[in-house]
Amino acid sequence: MNILEKLQTIDRRILYLLIAAVIAIPLLQRPSRHPRIVFSEVKNAYTTLSKVPKNKIVIISCVWGPGTRAENEPQTKAIIKHLLMEDTRFVMLSWDQLGSQLTYEDAVEIGKQLGKRYGKDWVHLGYNPGPMYAIIRGLGKSFTGVFKVDRFGKKLKDIPATKNVRDYRDIGAVVEITPSGTVSSWIAYFNQPYNVPLVFCPTAVMSAEAYPYLDSGQLDGMLNGVIGAAQYETLIGMENERTYAAAAAWALSCAHIFIIVLIVLGNLGYALSRRSAPQRGGGRTG
Amino acid sequence: MVELADWIAANAKTIALWCGALATFAIYSVLYAENKFYRLFEHIFIGLSAGFGVYVTWSQVLEPKWWQPMVHKGHWQWAFAAVLGSMFYFMYSKKHAWISRVIFGLFMGLSAGLMFRDFYEIYFPQMGASMKPIVGNGMSFWDSVNVFIFYMILLCSMTYFFFSFEHDSPIVQKSAAAGRWFLMIGFGAIFGATVMGRMTLFIGRLNFLVIDWWPSARSAWQFRTFQGIVAVIIVALVVWIINALRTRK
Repeated sequence: MNILEKLQTIDRRILYLLIAAVIAIPLLQRPSRHPRIVFSEVKNAYTTLSKVPKNKIVIISCVWGPGTRAENEPQTKAIIKHLLMEDTRFVMLSWDQLGSQLTYEDAVEIGKQLGKRYGKDWVHLGYNPGPMYAIIRGLGKSFTGVFKVDRFGKKLKDIPATKNVRDYRDIGAVVEITPSGTVSSWIAYFNQPYNVPLVFCPTAVMSAEAYPYLDSGQLDGMLNGVIGAAQYETLIGMENERTYAAAAAWALSCAHIFIIVLIVLGNLGYALSRRSAPQRGGGRTG
Repeated sequence: MVELADWIAANAKTIALWCGALATFAIYSVLYAENKFYRLFEHIFIGLSAGFGVYVTWSQVLEPKWWQPMVHKGHWQWAFAAVLGSMFYFMYSKKHAWISRVIFGLFMGLSAGLMFRDFYEIYFPQMGASMKPIVGNGMSFWDSVNVFIFYMILLCSMTYFFFSFEHDSPIVQKSAAAGRWFLMIGFGAIFGATVMGRMTLFIGRLNFLVIDWWPSARSAWQFRTFQGIVAVIIVALVVWIINALRTRK
């Protein structure tokens, strides 16, 4: 068996191990360098949230749970950090039972770092089972008609951050952080009817389908997976911090280069082995 | 018993890290081969998620938003929600399945009605935004080129989906073929994004292992525990290989 044939018969488990090793190096080294190129949709997301008037709140709608934590948590943290740095109040909703606790802990962690207080600067409304369209439609008409208490059962009218929020007029923007196709509910029942800006933070799998929404102006910005989170960190002044998003961006780049090299090698081996093999009848198949 | 509870409380973070690492190894062991270790942890995860889901649904939704108002605040009308909700469960009865069909029909009608709104709020603005001017409005030369490329791809892709008549004309044939290529490029981009997404999930788990768990595992008694677990796994692996070789013979 020559080298060309061996290239095509490498055990997939060896490839898995090699990919794990390639990814582990940037994670262990923890580079501080963030992506210097920032996509226009990420810049637009940053600008949109920076322009939210201080007398309005931002709704952060989190549909994610532990399954997509690696992608959606860096986005959530970057958005929370930006809003707290800007002194923009925000309300978090969670549509996932497990994600409810994770998103709350993220906000607590960043709030402590920046010296912000729960209730004054931000509020978490806990888990909402849905139906999503009904809740979204309702909160545009009457915020306190849909949400009466926070995750601890405290009345929203007694909480400083939310006591003056009546309806869509007091909501400056919505951030949808999701691994599924839920953004259409916000577009159809909130952002289009009331003309409230919408920032979308999907997983990378969902991002390709979101570009038509960006072109049509239905979305005001987007953070594309963990790369979008790393770029957003660059914009909020974290470009020299050793964060998970930066390390993950490097690890992704290494993994992609490795996969491209493997594809090229595999195809090269296939093409050369076909050329060196004796010609048989039939020619092309499939 | 109290001492054990105190010990668990004192070492809760370490225990959580070890459980996370063990579960990660178990789930990824399927990459080597299908095995019972993987199956066990898959079932544990499903059970834990379901159990935690029930708890969260009760504590954050049903108890404060339904039970409390109904029982303690006199909003007795919430009892009807329980009646409507319980109608779903009649699907398990052959005799009374018609009751579940009433509520299912209600929700299907509601969803169908909502789809109208979804459609015009989502797609009509996109159709409007597709009608872009090629020149004017302060557009530069490259803006016009960009819009021209957009129109070319849009028209070619739409031509590919004209199934109402034969593609006899060479212009239609060529543009439909080009449309197929553009679609393939689009699907390639989606697939690339999918690979990126899946890889990120793996990076997340690996990050947990190398940044959170491993430094913890290296310290004092934890490292000895780790050595013990590795030794047990190695012994189990050797036994499994010997057994597999015997079976093959």
